[in-house]
Amino acid sequence: MKTLLIKNAYVIDPIQKISGETMDIAVRNGLIVDDVKNPDEVIDAQGMLTLPGGIDSHTHICGTKVNFGRYMSPEDMRAGRTSRRGDMHATSGYSVPTTYGNSYRYSKMGYTTLLEGAMAPMEARHTHEEFRYTPMQDCLANTLFDGNWFALQAIQDGDTKRLAGVLAWYLSAVKGFGVKLTNPGGTEAWGFGEDVHCINEPIPHFGITPREIIVKMIEANEMLNLPHSVHLHCNNLGKPGNYMCTLDTYDAIPDLNDKRQSLYSTHVQFHSYGGSSWKDFCSKAEDIARSVNDKPHIVIDTGQVMFGKTTTMTADGPMEFNLYRLYHNKWSNHDVEMETGSGIIPVQYRKKNLVNAIMWSIGLELGLLVDDPWRCILATDNPNGAPFVKYPEVMALLMSKEYRDKEFATLHKSTGKRVILPSLDRELTWNEIAVMTRSAQARALGLVDYGKGYLSEGAEADIAIYPIDVATTDPARDYERIINGFSSTEYTIKRGEVVCRRGTCTLEGNHATYWVKPHVSPEYDMSTDTAFIDGFNKYYSIRMANYPVGEEYIGRNVCMETEASI
Amino acid sequence: MMRVILEVKEQVKPNLPIEAECITPKNFLDPEREFHVWKGNKEQDLTDVFHVRKDGDAKTAEQVEITIRGDSSHIKRVGEYMDGGKILIENDIGMHCGNFMSAGQIEIKGNADSWLGREMHGGTITCHGNAMDYAGSGYRGEKQGMRGGLIEIMGNAGDFAGETMAGGEIIIHGNAGDMPGVEIKDGRLTIMGDCSRPCGNMSGGECRIFGTAYDMLPTFRNEGPTTIDSVPVTRFSGDYTSRGMGTIYVKNCKYMD
Repeated sequence: MKTLLIKNAYVIDPIQKISGETMDIAVRNGLIVDDVKNPDEVIDAQGMLTLPGGIDSHTHICGTKVNFGRYMSPEDMRAGRTSRRGDMHATSGYSVPTTYGNSYRYSKMGYTTLLEGAMAPMEARHTHEEFRYTPMQDCLANTLFDGNWFALQAIQDGDTKRLAGVLAWYLSAVKGFGVKLTNPGGTEAWGFGEDVHCINEPIPHFGITPREIIVKMIEANEMLNLPHSVHLHCNNLGKPGNYMCTLDTYDAIPDLNDKRQSLYSTHVQFHSYGGSSWKDFCSKAEDIARSVNDKPHIVIDTGQVMFGKTTTMTADGPMEFNLYRLYHNKWSNHDVEMETGSGIIPVQYRKKNLVNAIMWSIGLELGLLVDDPWRCILATDNPNGAPFVKYPEVMALLMSKEYRDKEFATLHKSTGKRVILPSLDRELTWNEIAVMTRSAQARALGLVDYGKGYLSEGAEADIAIYPIDVATTDPARDYERIINGFSSTEYTIKRGEVVCRRGTCTLEGNHATYWVKPHVSPEYDMSTDTAFIDGFNKYYSIRMANYPVGEEYIGRNVCMETEASI
Repeated sequence: MMRVILEVKEQVKPNLPIEAECITPKNFLDPEREFHVWKGNKEQDLTDVFHVRKDGDAKTAEQVEITIRGDSSHIKRVGEYMDGGKILIENDIGMHCGNFMSAGQIEIKGNADSWLGREMHGGTITCHGNAMDYAGSGYRGEKQGMRGGLIEIMGNAGDFAGETMAGGEIIIHGNAGDMPGVEIKDGRLTIMGDCSRPCGNMSGGECRIFGTAYDMLPTFRNEGPTTIDSVPVTRFSGDYTSRGMGTIYVKNCKYMD
């Protein structure tokens, strides 16, 4: 019965509508309680900004493609080495660090929950094994369904209920959390040497369009009552002029859930490009933001790009192949049988490169133009846009026009003609930054019901205490203090225990994996469906009985059970 | 003029590698500086490994001359980030000698181990004996190897000499091993003796082979005979798996059977 009392904390907790109150927080047994008598530990948080633990709702930290990024980039491994210290293991890597490297660095920034953005179901074991060695954070895994043959078959047959059954079986078999669509149809088309260029173009073999895939998946997702909505990486990522495709996609999205969004659209920066080629490439963030502002059932994350070296990794195979043809550097592409694909390429974003400078501006424009911070989440699609250690810089850029202008002056001189960033005066408030870095994520992922993202009685005691005195800090001017303050917490508390103190991680093992288990009627239970079993054993290289990930792989875990309507 | 003489002490375990990146002329300018080296997994003082003798004074790195005596074949990273002055090595030297050096001179009387002059930018390295693998190349995963300066090897070189080289010059007076100049982007690689499979995926620069190139790659185009310093050679352009912007001059060549 460990107890902890945090005194005099300056709390911002948007879910409870607390914006800057000095209060005490009591913790017992990993949960927040009303009061504790004779606490085992007392923390004086006088003059320190105290927020719920950070949540990253789209990051790539664990799994086979992350690991491939590690071993194809030995130079990246040399770039971020730290030696063993106290309880901390040695780490290495900058854009694709080791699991401990990810965990320590996230914890230092006050993050306590991470969502792995794309897990190929067949390779789920690897992801779960790496989750176990990400000791400071709870982890969840979005599961890829963009090219799943059984799912595409059900869509082709027009049988949404069967599609929901397929999703349910895969999600609980691989201990996944949400439904991820990466370039829906495109990765499958690439298996036939093709790609899709808009959402109305039929894909080879199945003859269905990305639009059908997206809409049917959303319907199926809602039939299963999953905590999270469909998590979509739109078609045509990174191509000039792709904003039309993104707008078409948003127009096609039905509003099916009154509790949360019906679509989480990820790394939208990469999908907000105007122009017809790289020569007249420009920002269309305004159009995208207007569309998002009009559609309360869509939540986006920005996918901010920051300058420097990084590694791109995605399940979008054709996109990575196009990138390879631009860079001619090392490249990996991978096909996951029956399910999806992936690709990895190291890149460097440069200030003096016009395209890169525009990409940087678009991310910020989205953050500033979407009115409701609950529907515009701060993320870099780590490590695709930038490694997550750049988050504090992104926060400072959104909070300070002065900092933005200073950075903008160092970019390629033609950038100003292609973007509208210099004309945006909005400076985000502390409250809005708190929303964009934890509360909005908790709500969008449906984790509020599981005690995440807020600090009232009954919530998980995941708390980040930053050495920032809000009363004396003007974010518009003191952006250096914002960057330093958000880079390193005074205390990061995970389930009631201090896991990181000024960058030194002290304890591990108190983390869990969250996964969903939708209960469906026997009619749609794929584990007893003869057509599914026959198809599985005929086309997969492994037997169906060997496919599900056993509980022994995931250690401490929270099973989120849902009652499906089928 | 400052002369520093470092004589390697007799080692109880002579095979343990010693990481001595602190040995550069510039570091000896500061009389207060402490010199640490890693021996195996233990950090030691420089005087635990060497008898150190320092004579004279110097104001700039150019006025410092370091001599390394004794069995230095397991001493690694000597002259890393060196930017002036001279290092004379009287016997063999360990791996990574002259890493990232930008100016100055390193002379090795014996043999050099692998990664000699890895990713160097300038200065000269002369090795009177043989050099092992990866002379003048880039380290694992690096896009660019040597970018400037000169490496001259009087004996033979091992495999992968000048891998990912992007400038400067390497001259090998003996034979080179397998795959010299792989991924070479710029600069000049000269091999007076034989080698095999030169310059795979070459995208620029020049390679001259005055012996026999065995197992020539079929992705180079024979552009006919020419001469270099009145030596008759054949010119090849390639590598056409890349854009074919590089040139190989070779005296004799043989394709794989």
